[in-house]
Amino acid sequence: MSSTPNIAARSRFAPSRDAMQALYRLLAVALLCIALTALSDVFFTTNNILNVLRQTALLFLMASGLTLVILTAGLDLSVGANIALSACLAASVIKATGSPLLGIATGIGCGAAIGFANGILVTALRIPSFIATYGMMWMLTGITYYYMAGDTIHGFPPEFRQLGSGYLLGVPMPVYVMVLFLLIGWFFAQRTIWGQQIYAIGANPVAARLSGVPVERRLVLVYAVSGAMAGLASLIILARINSAQGDIGEELTLPAIAAVLVGGTSLFGGSGSVAGTLIGALFLTLVLNGMNLLQIHSSWQPLVTGVIILLAVWIDNRTRRSDA
Amino acid sequence: MSAHKLTPASMSLARVPGVAIVLAILCATFGVMSPGFVTPANISNILSQSTILLLLALPMTLIIMTEGLDLSMGAVLTLASIALAITVVATGSATLGFLAALTVGFCFGLGNGVLIAALDIPPFITTLGTLGIAQGLSLLATDGQSVVGLPRSIEVIYSGSAAGIPLPVVIAALAYALTYALLYHTRFGTYVFALGGNREALKLAGISVRGMLIRVYVFGGLMAGFAALLMTARLNSAHPTAGIGMEFDAIAAIAVGGTSFERGNGWLFGTLLGVIAVGVLRNGLNLLAVPSSAQVTCIGAIVIIALFIDGLRGDR
Amino acid sequence: MASGSVVSEAPNGAARIAGVPLFELRGISKAFPGVKALDDVSFDIRSGEVHMLVGENGAGKSTLMKVLCGAYRADSGSFFYNGEPVTIDDPAAARQFGIAVIFQEFTLVPYLDIAQNIFLGREIPGRLPGFIDQRRIHSEAKRVLDLIGFDIDPHLPLHRLGVAQQQMVEIAKALSQDARILVMDEPTAALSDRETERLFAMIKRLKDSGVAIVYISHRLGEVFALGDRITVLRDGRKIASVLPAETTPDQLVTLMVGRPVDTTYTRASRPVPGKVALEVTNLSGPSGFSDINLTVRAGEIVGLCGLVGSGRSEVARAIFGADRITAGEIRLFGEPIGASPEESVRRGMALIPENRKTQGLALNRSVSDNIILAGLRKLFPSGLYVPRRAIKAARAIIDKLRIATPTPRRAVATLSGGNQQKVVIGKWLNADARFFIFDEPTRGIDVGAKAEIFRLLDHLVHDGAAVLMISSEQIEIVHICDRAYVMRGGHIAGELAHHELTEANIVRLGIHQ
Repeated sequence: MSSTPNIAARSRFAPSRDAMQALYRLLAVALLCIALTALSDVFFTTNNILNVLRQTALLFLMASGLTLVILTAGLDLSVGANIALSACLAASVIKATGSPLLGIATGIGCGAAIGFANGILVTALRIPSFIATYGMMWMLTGITYYYMAGDTIHGFPPEFRQLGSGYLLGVPMPVYVMVLFLLIGWFFAQRTIWGQQIYAIGANPVAARLSGVPVERRLVLVYAVSGAMAGLASLIILARINSAQGDIGEELTLPAIAAVLVGGTSLFGGSGSVAGTLIGALFLTLVLNGMNLLQIHSSWQPLVTGVIILLAVWIDNRTRRSDA
Repeated sequence: MSAHKLTPASMSLARVPGVAIVLAILCATFGVMSPGFVTPANISNILSQSTILLLLALPMTLIIMTEGLDLSMGAVLTLASIALAITVVATGSATLGFLAALTVGFCFGLGNGVLIAALDIPPFITTLGTLGIAQGLSLLATDGQSVVGLPRSIEVIYSGSAAGIPLPVVIAALAYALTYALLYHTRFGTYVFALGGNREALKLAGISVRGMLIRVYVFGGLMAGFAALLMTARLNSAHPTAGIGMEFDAIAAIAVGGTSFERGNGWLFGTLLGVIAVGVLRNGLNLLAVPSSAQVTCIGAIVIIALFIDGLRGDR
Repeated sequence: MASGSVVSEAPNGAARIAGVPLFELRGISKAFPGVKALDDVSFDIRSGEVHMLVGENGAGKSTLMKVLCGAYRADSGSFFYNGEPVTIDDPAAARQFGIAVIFQEFTLVPYLDIAQNIFLGREIPGRLPGFIDQRRIHSEAKRVLDLIGFDIDPHLPLHRLGVAQQQMVEIAKALSQDARILVMDEPTAALSDRETERLFAMIKRLKDSGVAIVYISHRLGEVFALGDRITVLRDGRKIASVLPAETTPDQLVTLMVGRPVDTTYTRASRPVPGKVALEVTNLSGPSGFSDINLTVRAGEIVGLCGLVGSGRSEVARAIFGADRITAGEIRLFGEPIGASPEESVRRGMALIPENRKTQGLALNRSVSDNIILAGLRKLFPSGLYVPRRAIKAARAIIDKLRIATPTPRRAVATLSGGNQQKVVIGKWLNADARFFIFDEPTRGIDVGAKAEIFRLLDHLVHDGAAVLMISSEQIEIVHICDRAYVMRGGHIAGELAHHELTEANIVRLGIHQ
């Protein structure tokens, strides 16, 4: 192989399409920041920036697990309902035992168990993921409301509340959690063979199976991880707002899906990344935060989120088609 | 598409008893456990309450037959109901209100259809997005409050009766007859079967697959507009969360009714029985004072079990 | 092609059928990337005749048929209807001339009834707009079904019908369009003897009523029983057009084979077979094969041939653990195997699948990602993935197989067919596989790449690996394999030792006589 075609190809194809796409997304985030700074006096203040980061952290934690699911060309519509149930159970345990650690274990364990159940529905029972997790969403919502019976659990030990509202070196605690899980997520997806297998499953499940990838076990793992991340996010919310109610995660599923899709993970599987989801989460938080600052009514939020989801999928469709 | 591994007669025979048995068991159980269940008033009540669900479940059956899904139906129903109420309050004309509801349904149906058929966005994500949009518009239009002050003429549509039969039941019966005729006796219905069963055959026959898909979703939107009329009349008001999640009950009714989610096979009468089964379940649990949250859990479990059984049938 | 042109055209034979042909194709050529599917083929069809079209897999029969019905556009050539020049560039144009095709893949909708299927897209309007006159389409359907002697209630939903009955519906559908030219692609493949007889009776009736029939078949018996004329295609060229009375089945087989050797690779030496690598006993499965017995030894390349649809790929998939089996045993290097592809891969088995794009490759992933996929566990026993090491391993394979890619990070979709196939093979080299199943390894790749793949096969067996190779190209089997099994209708029809391994023997065993 001579070096000439090498150079020609590199100049034609570098920087890679993925890198360019990430660049566009960062550009969009930067433009959004500039616009918000110009439009609002409050945006570029330490307080608001920290607030944005905290919200981004929360959205990212939910969306990072969901990213893995969408990488396999699946979907998890139950993350919001999962958060509600995990938060309520964790809150009860903390209240009953006074132990934050037991509460954390409950929240994450409950989330993971729900995700595991989703994985079983999708693999062993072969129900399409969007409908299985949709059924799961309503079951969980029902269980949560039944369990809470309209009550609110509030007032948690201060050391637990640190998780959501505390600061370390002037930076909110959730941001540290976010960075930690960004690294873990990146490591899992990019630096383990399971991550490689997950990408392969999303790109072509038939070829993956015929290459010896244990497709079903990996799928169960991915749904369980998504559930566990929802459980973790529920704890952050709990610690932040210091109370648990039945409707706690209700409005979080759509933004989480939007964050993943805006972050460049394809609904059709096989391409995208956890780091992209961070950009997506930041973008979505900025949009919602900006609407808040500009005193746009919160009723616009589901509408804007819906439009963002449709646009993101449409753009992904177009880039995929121009590739083909 | 040629290798149908189904053994002859396996489908319809295995299915007819399924939903009928579920319905019979539900009726027997509630009949024994709750004295108020088998009374003319309660039965009439169940039927009336099931009508709104039926108006959604009928088009949803067709949509699911095309291997699609419409998660936005409950939110569109809500928005159409709000549009109806606001128009009636503003103009005093029930006709204009009804037209407003139908327009909302039509626009969302068309939007869903175009996004799915022309832009190739998967149905579940398309309708998830339009669900958000419809929900947002509902909140915006009402500021989260109920729209009240409707004239008696609207309420009568739900509470009135013709020849001793409750009006909503009459409307639902007409809707069922219309959908039945569409599905089994028109070209449109024939192509709905082909959209799910063998799209390639439809293309080779020279029919526009996109055009047909769009029509299916428009039909869904229009029926949601119709259902909005009944729902508004029943509540005598419109509320931005009134119809949220209705599509889930519709999906449950269809799954129980034996329509397949993967093979382009639908059974309209099964959907009718499924709707009544969901209605009986909700009514019976209400009589037994089971909170609605637990009812939702029941229905969620029913959907998953029905889909699992559907999957098993497909394997044979 | 000199040998072919000697017998071609059979001028006296053609002259004996009088009159202007109903439809004529002249000088049709059609190329696909890397393959010339049709090369200057002329073909005519007359009213009231059954024109048999025969040839091996890949000879160009299907392509010719698709050109005729407007599904493909020919690159060059012209069409004549009743002697008048016409154009056919889409299915609608073909339908105008009364051309109807019965494809092997059914165009039927499972949950519509028979009549609705027959009239799909051509429904008879009822009184109300948009409505269908159900009574009339059912009575019309009944009439067409009676015409072909198929006694069945047109109200029956299609999914209740067996494959043979569906085939009859497909025939009725074509006939209901008032076809003047009816093209049938192996219509008896799914039919029982009785149904076949009925179909033949119907064909004779249609013929008498003046319909022209093009009939594609692999069964020499029916070629001679039904045909008024026989046209042989080979490698996209018309080899001969003969009358059944003037030829014999043996002569026909000779015309069909004799494909020129298009490989530049010859095996210089063949290793002495070693221990048994794969042993399959009495294997049966639900995907349509039964009682399969075969062995492959280390150092051997064993062919598995037969017509498309004879069950070759299904057997391969079952051996690999990808499909369920109902009976029998598979042993790999002496130990039972067959639970899952995962186990097969771990135990050193490799499958190079029939369709590399849908089964072999994650197309939008990189060359490197694809190459290391099957060998991830071996390459990274700790479970930690090191990109540098992955790229290095991929580079080694790229160099070894001379895969033409500027960088291992390039998406596999951008490579040529031959290089994509090498990536699939490379995946298994990287996984240290010892037993390879190659399913149509040379499909859709150019001559040079074919030779490279054969060289590779040779190297593999010289290194002590064992190979089972499926190919529709008989010449490849003859050229490369040490021996071969021939499949027919889901069974092993026979085994050919090296000295018996000729194209004619393969065709004789594989074709229904």
